[in-house]
Amino acid sequence: MTDIRNREAQEAADRASTYEWGFSSDIEQDFAPKGLNEDTVRFISAKKNEPEWMLEWRLKAYRAWLTMEEVSWAKLDIPAIDFQDAYYYAEPRAKPKLGSLDEVDPEILRVYEKLGIPIEEQKVLAGVEGARRVAVDAVFDSVSVATTFRKELEAAGVIFRSISEAIREYPDLVRQYLGSVVPQRDNYFACLNSAVFSDGTFVYIPEGVRCPMELSTYFRINAENTGQFERTLIVADKGSYVSYLEGCTAPMRDENQLHAAVVELVALDDAEIKYSTVQNWYPGDAEGKGGIYNFVTKRAICAGARSKVSWTQVETGSAITWKYPSCILKGEGSVGEFYSVAVTNNRQQADTGTKMIHIGKNSRSTIVSKGISAGKSNNTYRGLVRVNAGAENVRNFTQCDSLLLGDQCGAHTVPYIEVKNPSAQIEHEATTSKISDDQMFYAQQRGLNAEDAVALIVNGFAKEVLQQLPMEFAVEAQKLLGISLEGSVG
Amino acid sequence: MLLDLPSTRTEAWRWSDLSALPEIAQRAKSGVVPTALPWIDCGSESPRLVFVDGRYDEARSKAGPIQIGRVLASAPDHALARLAGQQGWSLKLGEGHAAPGLIQIVHLTSGAADHLAAEIVLEADAQASIAETYMGEGWTNRLTVIALAKGARLMLNRRMLGAGGFVSLTDRADVGEGASLTVATLAAGGNDSRVDSQINLSGQTAFAEIGGALLARGRQRHDANLVLRHDAIGGASRQMWRSVADDRATASVAARVEVARGAQKTDGVQSLKGLLLARSATVNLKPELEIFADDVKCAHGATVGELDRNTLFYLASRGIGESEAKALLTQAFVADAIDRIGEEAVREAYATDVINWFSQSSLVPSEVEGRS
Repeated sequence: MTDIRNREAQEAADRASTYEWGFSSDIEQDFAPKGLNEDTVRFISAKKNEPEWMLEWRLKAYRAWLTMEEVSWAKLDIPAIDFQDAYYYAEPRAKPKLGSLDEVDPEILRVYEKLGIPIEEQKVLAGVEGARRVAVDAVFDSVSVATTFRKELEAAGVIFRSISEAIREYPDLVRQYLGSVVPQRDNYFACLNSAVFSDGTFVYIPEGVRCPMELSTYFRINAENTGQFERTLIVADKGSYVSYLEGCTAPMRDENQLHAAVVELVALDDAEIKYSTVQNWYPGDAEGKGGIYNFVTKRAICAGARSKVSWTQVETGSAITWKYPSCILKGEGSVGEFYSVAVTNNRQQADTGTKMIHIGKNSRSTIVSKGISAGKSNNTYRGLVRVNAGAENVRNFTQCDSLLLGDQCGAHTVPYIEVKNPSAQIEHEATTSKISDDQMFYAQQRGLNAEDAVALIVNGFAKEVLQQLPMEFAVEAQKLLGISLEGSVG
Repeated sequence: MLLDLPSTRTEAWRWSDLSALPEIAQRAKSGVVPTALPWIDCGSESPRLVFVDGRYDEARSKAGPIQIGRVLASAPDHALARLAGQQGWSLKLGEGHAAPGLIQIVHLTSGAADHLAAEIVLEADAQASIAETYMGEGWTNRLTVIALAKGARLMLNRRMLGAGGFVSLTDRADVGEGASLTVATLAAGGNDSRVDSQINLSGQTAFAEIGGALLARGRQRHDANLVLRHDAIGGASRQMWRSVADDRATASVAARVEVARGAQKTDGVQSLKGLLLARSATVNLKPELEIFADDVKCAHGATVGELDRNTLFYLASRGIGESEAKALLTQAFVADAIDRIGEEAVREAYATDVINWFSQSSLVPSEVEGRS
């Protein structure tokens, strides 16, 4: 029974193991000279017309980075990365045109159209009446090419900018918060990012404002041999709310490309930030050739009382994922949540999880992680729950479930629990399973073929997490999971 | 002797503090042996061995099947175990043999550091039961290499009852087809400790149960690191640990179950629980799974918390004083791990040790607090 299923699934995998977003587009681009040195950093800063303090900040990070070493504790086999053999800046060469949207190269617009990303406002507006709208910041290689719905957001007082614009337009706000959650020297890749980050998104929600629409950034690596280093900073002032979505794709290429992002979230009193990611970088081919190295530092500080940060991630892409969206729960009664589905297939490697650092009294956190491994991949959940001595009445619930499809993959769970306060209640549960023959039999006798049955069961397995996604993303995520599975079961 | 010790920056040692070891190693040995040693009364003339500062004390011992001398044991990759050397004791039992009763070994370290290696080799269907007790206030460093052939059974019980100092135990075990290894560790003294066990279930349907209770107070630190590796089909393993931390103490357990590619039908259970009796005490847990096979059953659970207030209230309403109620509930918490010990005499001895630990806490808290 299992053998038959495996064979069928394997056949399905062979048929469907294609990466639908793997096209690359021929767009004229300006590159920084290949390699990394202080001049590269100065070049990027100059390209962005940055103020002096920003250049100093970058150079400080670069010098610190030179003294740091790559970490090796993750359960990942990372080939040596030649940091000199990459472009650190690639900018689509702007065509001299006028008008707001026309400024965007039509070729780029076509790319986003292919990706199904609405960066043209009218397109969004033409949607079904009553459908929620999404403001999009589209980042193409190193620069942000379009930010939509700017006027409407400004009316609400929301600042939604590419970070390069924000550095010029709101230097005080950026300076106050940049690097405050993830310090420059935090880790090797965050430090590299601090030196060479090229673009990203800045969001500021003023006091008491509920952001009128979902905000979204769509990242696309297009150029060859480029690393993408984006930086996202979201500040939610007292009593505000924002839901932010992030998506990413890249063309299929034989060589590996580096993506080292830093995301910083700041939630003040009673503020809430919901951050959702659907990560679908090119995972490499079935033999593990090519693919994106996704080394991302994401951290939130719940600085204010009763603030809340919720991370939701669906990780299906990248050759190697190294990512731990974390919450520092400093405010009294603050809440941190982490919902994750990580799918690995073929020779993908994922080491992902979260850190919940409880500092404030009555802070609570929930961790739900679903790992699905297939092919010859390795999927690791690595998490830390720490309760400091002063944090009274902390509650944490952690659930890590792993699903193995096939006997050539690996599923690992590495939870750290460090508790220094007796009033804390910490619970951790984990299970490891495969799809049972009973489940398959039931689904199949109801008329589903093996592949649909597996997709159904896995969707059910990941349901708790998928439910957390905003409507706009849930559809995409479910579709993505389905596609990944078509190519993965066996 | 220059010590090259790992720091807390090394991932596998992040919860251990070895900084006191060089100082302990400098302490003078008194060589004094107390008149009453904590023998477990098991009603038979079973072998008893005493090692004082790492030297075999023949006058106080009755070796039985244990041999003293050179042993083949080494763990060059382990920072502490590689100091253990080649001298120590060994137990080798031929096919179908059983050791005469409970073999008891008392390790007394009166100061400074002593290193000793041990080798336990049980041929097919042989069985033995060993209880080791660690006393004194120096640094006791031990390496034990265990090989169990088909169907062999070994029960290994360890009690750490030192007045102070440091006990480091490193085990390397290979469990063959259908063989069974049970290790029960109790830390109920004043010493700090570091336990590293690497158990390989290399034969089919092999079984291992590694568990224990770590009781820490004052500024004590206990740190247990277990790796249970399933290399063959149908193995089963149990890890049952209970940690209690009072005052400013730290009790840490990092337990890993590894399931190798092809080790199908593995059944692994981990249960790690921590109890904090005071603010500023710390419990660290890391229930880790590393799984490379898809038809396995691996579950782990970990909880940390304090004593249940409702239960304390209930006991108070029945007229039981606060400290007594706390001791009672904590003993019940620890009992999860201790009640699994098969031999009654050993189980009772452990229970007594736990009770003694509590009685000491109310009698001499200031003395404990003064330790550093």
